[in-house]
Amino acid sequence: MKLSRRDFLKMGGGIGVGIALGGGFWKWGQPPPSSKLLPPGIEKWVPTVCGQCLGGCGILVRMIDGWATNIIGNPLHPINRGALCPKGIAALQGLYDPDRIRSPLKRIGKRGEGRWQPISWKEAIQEISNQLRELRENGEPHKLVVLGGRYRGLMRLLWERFLEVYGSPNYIDNQFRWDGIPMEGLFLTQGIHTLFTFDFENVKYLLSFSAPLLDSYWFPIHALKAFGQFRRGRTGQRGRLVQIEPRLSITGMKADEWIPIQPGTEGILALGIAHMIIKEGLYDKEFVLKNTFGFENWVDSKEQTHIGFHDFVLSEFPPQRVSSKTGIPIDTIIRLSREFATNQPSLAIGYRDRPFHQMAVWALNGLVGAIDRRGGILIPKSIPFQPFPSPSKDRAARKGLERKRIDEVRESPFGIDQPYLFAKNSISGIPYRPKILFLYYSNPFFSNPCPEFFQRAFDQIPFIVSFSPYMDDTTQYVDLILPDHTPLERWQDDPLFLNNGFPVLGIRQPVTPPIHQTRATGDVLIDLARSLGGEIEKAFPWKDFKEVLLYGLKGIYESRRGDVFGLEYDEAWIRMLQRGGWWDPSYKSFEEFWELLLEKGGWWDPIYEFGERERIYKTPSKKFEFYSQGIKGVLLSSKGEEDSSFLPHWEESVPKEEEKYPFILNIFKTMALDGRNANQPWLQGILGPHLFEKWATWVEINPITASKYDISDGDWVWVESPHGKIKVKARLYQGAMPHVVNIPFGNGHRTGGRWSKKIGENPYRLLGLELDSLTGQPIHGNTRVKIYKA
Amino acid sequence: MHRWGMVIDLDKCTACQTCVVACLAENNIALIGPEESAKGRTIHWIELVPYIQGEYPHVKVRLIPRPCMHCDHPPCTKVCPVYATYLNEEGIVAQINYRCIGCRYCTTACPYTVKYFNWYEPRWPDEMRGALNRDVSIRTKGVVEKCTFCHHRLLKAREKAKAEGRDLLPEDYVPACVEACPSGAMYFGDLNDPFSTVSQLSRERRAFRLMEDLGTEPKVYYLSEGM
Amino acid sequence: MEKIKREEDAILFEPVERTGRSFYLTLSILIIVILWAVFAYQFQYREGLGVTGLARPIFWGVYITNFVFFIGISHAGTLISAILRLAKAEWRRSITRSAEVITVLVLFFGVGNILMDLGRPDRMLNIIKYSQFQSPLLWDVSSITVYLTASSIYLYLPLIPDIALLRDRNGKRRWFYRALALGWKGTERQHRLLEKAISFMAILVIPVAVSVHTVVSFVFAMTIQPMWHSAIFGPYFVAGAIFSGIAALIIAMNIIRKVYHLEEYLRPVHFNHLGILLLVMTLLWFYFTFTEYLTTYYGGEPIHMTIFWMKFTGRFAPYFWGMFLFCFVIPLPILSFKKTRTPLGTLIASISVIIGMWLERYVIVVPTLTNPRLPNEMVIYFPTWIEWSMFAGCVSFFILLYMIFTKLFPIVSIWEVREGREKSMIEVQERIKTYLPGIGVE
Ligand SMILES: Nc1nc2c(c(=O)[nH]1)N[C@H]1C(S)=C(S)[C@@H](COP(=O)(O)OP(=O)(O)OC[C@H]3O[C@@H](n4cnc5c(=O)[nH]c(N)nc54)[C@H](O)[C@@H]3O)O[C@H]1N2
Ligand SMILES: Nc1nc2c(c(=O)[nH]1)N[C@H]1C(S)=C(S)[C@@H](COP(=O)(O)OP(=O)(O)OC[C@H]3O[C@@H](n4cnc5c(=O)[nH]c(N)nc54)[C@H](O)[C@@H]3O)O[C@H]1N2
Ligand code: SF4
Ligand code: SF4
Ligand code: SF4
Ligand code: SF4
Ligand code: SF4
Ligand SMILES: [Mo]
Repeated sequence: MKLSRRDFLKMGGGIGVGIALGGGFWKWGQPPPSSKLLPPGIEKWVPTVCGQCLGGCGILVRMIDGWATNIIGNPLHPINRGALCPKGIAALQGLYDPDRIRSPLKRIGKRGEGRWQPISWKEAIQEISNQLRELRENGEPHKLVVLGGRYRGLMRLLWERFLEVYGSPNYIDNQFRWDGIPMEGLFLTQGIHTLFTFDFENVKYLLSFSAPLLDSYWFPIHALKAFGQFRRGRTGQRGRLVQIEPRLSITGMKADEWIPIQPGTEGILALGIAHMIIKEGLYDKEFVLKNTFGFENWVDSKEQTHIGFHDFVLSEFPPQRVSSKTGIPIDTIIRLSREFATNQPSLAIGYRDRPFHQMAVWALNGLVGAIDRRGGILIPKSIPFQPFPSPSKDRAARKGLERKRIDEVRESPFGIDQPYLFAKNSISGIPYRPKILFLYYSNPFFSNPCPEFFQRAFDQIPFIVSFSPYMDDTTQYVDLILPDHTPLERWQDDPLFLNNGFPVLGIRQPVTPPIHQTRATGDVLIDLARSLGGEIEKAFPWKDFKEVLLYGLKGIYESRRGDVFGLEYDEAWIRMLQRGGWWDPSYKSFEEFWELLLEKGGWWDPIYEFGERERIYKTPSKKFEFYSQGIKGVLLSSKGEEDSSFLPHWEESVPKEEEKYPFILNIFKTMALDGRNANQPWLQGILGPHLFEKWATWVEINPITASKYDISDGDWVWVESPHGKIKVKARLYQGAMPHVVNIPFGNGHRTGGRWSKKIGENPYRLLGLELDSLTGQPIHGNTRVKIYKA
Repeated sequence: MHRWGMVIDLDKCTACQTCVVACLAENNIALIGPEESAKGRTIHWIELVPYIQGEYPHVKVRLIPRPCMHCDHPPCTKVCPVYATYLNEEGIVAQINYRCIGCRYCTTACPYTVKYFNWYEPRWPDEMRGALNRDVSIRTKGVVEKCTFCHHRLLKAREKAKAEGRDLLPEDYVPACVEACPSGAMYFGDLNDPFSTVSQLSRERRAFRLMEDLGTEPKVYYLSEGM
Repeated sequence: MEKIKREEDAILFEPVERTGRSFYLTLSILIIVILWAVFAYQFQYREGLGVTGLARPIFWGVYITNFVFFIGISHAGTLISAILRLAKAEWRRSITRSAEVITVLVLFFGVGNILMDLGRPDRMLNIIKYSQFQSPLLWDVSSITVYLTASSIYLYLPLIPDIALLRDRNGKRRWFYRALALGWKGTERQHRLLEKAISFMAILVIPVAVSVHTVVSFVFAMTIQPMWHSAIFGPYFVAGAIFSGIAALIIAMNIIRKVYHLEEYLRPVHFNHLGILLLVMTLLWFYFTFTEYLTTYYGGEPIHMTIFWMKFTGRFAPYFWGMFLFCFVIPLPILSFKKTRTPLGTLIASISVIIGMWLERYVIVVPTLTNPRLPNEMVIYFPTWIEWSMFAGCVSFFILLYMIFTKLFPIVSIWEVREGREKSMIEVQERIKTYLPGIGVE
């Protein structure tokens, strides 16, 4: 994997030899032998894709004598252009974690006891395929369930293909669907279910409703990189960010203005702002007229009149009402609406709140026409992978696929997977009980509310397999562990897109041979298919996952779109313009294409086509819908025909037991940790810079509140909800609202390696099982707690 | 002669701490576990320093990435009894690890608290040792360390430029933190070159330095937030 | 007549010639403590300074406190003795020796504490190999070395006649005394030379002593850290040093007096005089402390004030007010009245001053470091058992050495006492004549 010198001049890289320096300075004599230095070695830089999160950054791993010694951003990769987030660099510690699972493990002793017997891969595969075969022979293939977490690319298709030919409808996403992106807003207004992007770089005024842009954005690097550009990348223009949020987060600190808001009310604030914009006539009248539906009152085919967004908002959300609910002064609401409407291009972005709250935020974008424009919401084209040939299924498979999904998700309006229903139904046995469970990249005991609930579900399942390379709370409770390679050891594709809508495909390649006796789950899956034989085997004609990858890439090669990474973005753009959009890739054969992919790190298509309405609006009206017709059919049964049910509206959550539990619990994420990075000491060291917090879980309390409860900075306190309690360190923080307490997520693993086990507490233990009725996802910010000194 | 300096644009900085982790990885900084961290023994050559002003709801928090300032009048070097820390001719305040006697006088003299001490022998699990950076020596217990502006990168870049028979170009020498910063908030270069980005930025209206009144003449400049 | 005198001074030879059970008992206890400290040190040496309570930003703690404290104590001896000598204070004769010994011995512990504090004691010699004279630490090294040498000579010179006495008594270790006596015969010429040398040293030693503690203060004052960077730190430290030095001397005298039954030699009047000196220093100390804090307060710089309030009302208030209590509130009334300036009274005041002055050093070192100029995580320093063990070890070792000294040499300068008896009446009369009007001689 040699890189051309020219490309990496900038990194001072190429092939060189590490020089030994005593601390780097030799002015007064040479270091004595005692100053320890590792021997110098041959260095090479291997391009691959970071796998620490779904950001998809291209990285170059500095290899010396077979050791990965450092990670820097790949300057050619358009997503990150040489930059990284802290997690990216810490991937080294994920790779070399001394407590990784080193070979397949079989449980001895009781579940969860933590006694394991290392076994060989052959035995392990044998055991699973026996179990799988037996299940099929009993005519119950649908009782195989795969709980999949956060990853991307062909691997997902591979799982689905496996289940399809095996005969199970049960692939269940244990992520809040596409990583917290406020998808439902997009679905309700534009009828789209795929990923989209915000073109931050070109925004002038960004109104963020709790979007954790700089704390834990769904693809951290996208926001981090865009921020610099947004702020100072354009001459004469400085982007302005207003953060509306119950807690002063890092995003709030970096924003020009932080507006604290009563938790759970940002939906009504958005509607209040819409009210003022409409009232003052500041909205983009042309866009609204041409591209939207349901703004004015309208008459349907049955001659029935329906109220439109305009009248609905004007009558329902006057600033007085909004102000009293949100706690934000009226003049601030007026000011925000004027600023938002007059500083074009402006953009409103929300977080994964309840669907109609998201829709309210989205409606603001509709009002200013921030759809499918520079500095707006973009819908990227997908990457032209070569589709897998559709497999032939045997009878058993066909019968299995006819069964209901265990989480009955096909009945849910958003088609969002519901791990909670899976757990609930596993306990009740209705419609049936799973017999085999695969855990791929998911750790529900840690990342879902009510771990006990999932544990009870697991107790009903006779055979559970985890593919995790690390011991985690859920993996501790399985029967068999088949450790995956970590991302730096495996082949994988990473399809994504830039903020400005260009599709990008990163290629993840092994930088080092596997360190332990682990195997890529993709390869294992193919082996399993082979050992099951018949149609299943035939559906997997590949030797290993790398072949799957090559197969998929053929489609890209043949599409004659895009090119491998090479030029800087600006240059590429100029070249594009010069050639009038005609594109001539730099490779002549597929082999050359593949070589170049590995050398440069991936492929991209620097083109975004505006105005393709078919792609942008998939609603029944083929327009942006202020009145969601798309959801109407599905919702009718549950919500009645009230017009307001299909317009952006506000669903108040009624506080419960306010006297007993005086505080609202706000769980937030940090840049450093999500469910999986606690095993990396570098990240543990940077958790909460505003309070110097490291290696801990803390609770942020407003100082005045704290003094009322006689709590001082650094005290140990219990935080108790109706569902559980945890002991954490109290930190007084001026950025906490008086009646809201904030706890970071990421620590509190009950098991794991030396750096993650029993560090801090998991705030998810405080949550109950209150789910949004539409999406089946936990509702943000409606858990109440009390606090007392430990 | 070069005079190396850094500019950090706080308006662009996202407080993401990539710089912190990049530095940890680049410079073989010891792993400090939870117990020692709780005692205040973390080593972060660059660290985010929080200034929290005002009271809820009128709070302003500023997070300032703080490496060694590489002062032109460094209070730290004057007090070292053994010349283990000194201002080199290119303006880098250097640290000679194998000479330091660990008196920690420089650490107390530095007004920016950027010097760190090895309270114990730095240790890594065997599984990780090979992944250390071979261009940077491993410190022993009992010595002081701090940001070196990734001086080893300068030496390497020089060597490379020499091998290629050309002058050192500005982009040849970039410290690890600057290289990794995702929002492009950090700049590095020669302050003596009036046309370099850093020297231009250091003269910008928004430019300021930490505790300028102490007369330490830091070579790390900040650009303030806001317009 | 001759005979009786010898009988009288015999008691001064007693400790050198006879050793009782209690001595050995004390010795064993001290040795145990010292061994414990040695164990603690080797543990620290092996593991690193992590075994102490230090952390960033509180890089200095008990060791540096002790360093300043011990160097301070060292001012008891040489300086006081020199001043009294030069001032021709007659009452000095029986106390100078015990004072000078303190200086010489305690200096080692001052220096020792610096060495204990080093992260790399094995590289100690770098201080010589690569000395950077810009560093106040090097000034310290130099001035302490000079002070140590000067004080040792200054201790040794007046010892010579006494060593000769011991040599001539046909007791134990004669070879030892013979070597050290340097052939002292007590001739007129030798006496004249000795007197000259002593007064020369007495003059020399005063600026050196003052410089030593000034330089110690410079270790702090030369940094720009808040509440360290102060111009009066030099005199403040010197005054403090003399203050604690006198206190240490009073304690030592009290013990010697009791243990070796020297009530005849160390009389209440000595304690009264030293008590007055201590009283003066108490007031002086208060004056300096007051000025120091008052200027800080009026300056009102936020960074200074954080530390100021931390001392006055915050976390360090117990230490700060403890210091004030022990350095001022307790000693002042005791020392103010003749009635209480008894051996016991001054002893109590002195113990109080010693504790107070240790706290003063601590209150200077730790709070400033706890509050760096840049915001920093709250780190609370508390010394660990290692540091306490080393402190105990130092004190024990000092006592041990002091005890051994009393077993080798007379702790009261015999010849000077004798000389006093023989000559000073006349001398004093003569002197008085020189400065009193009316009876003056031209
Ligand atoms: N560094 C990092 N990046 C990540 C992740 C990570 O863990 N770490 N996780 C990734 C994943 S899987 C996801 S799903 C996304 C998560 O991204 P999001 O779905 O946006 O979730 P959170 O980061 O928890 O941010 C939610 C924000 O909402 C605020 N909030 C809480 N309750 C309320 C309320 O009632 N009203 C309002 N207005 N605000 C409220 C909180 O203060 C918090 O800042 O991030 C992704 N990116
Ligand atoms: N308290 C709290 N809980 C949350 C959230 C929150 O904000 N706060 N957010 C929720 C959200 S948005 C999401 S998306 C979910 C995510 O929750 P999960 O889907 O459970 O995802 P993770 O916890 O990131 O990772 C799961 C497991 O994957 C394993 N793993 C790591 N690397 C690899 C690998 O290379 N291969 C394989 N096969 N496995 C690997 C690790 O063992 C890890 O424990 O959490 C939810 N839970
Ligand atoms: S944003 Fe995600 S993919 Fe990019 S470097 Fe960070 S962890 Fe890796
Ligand atoms: S890496 Fe850059 S943006 Fe991130 S904290 Fe450091 S300076 Fe700021
Ligand atoms: S910041 Fe501190 S360590 Fe760095 S040069 Fe200045 S005084 Fe020295
Ligand atoms: S700790 Fe080391 S570098 Fe610092 S002053 Fe002492 S010897 Fe010099
Ligand atoms: S310049 Fe180098 S040593 Fe200094 S903070 Fe940045 S990465 Fe660390
Ligand atoms: Mo997520």
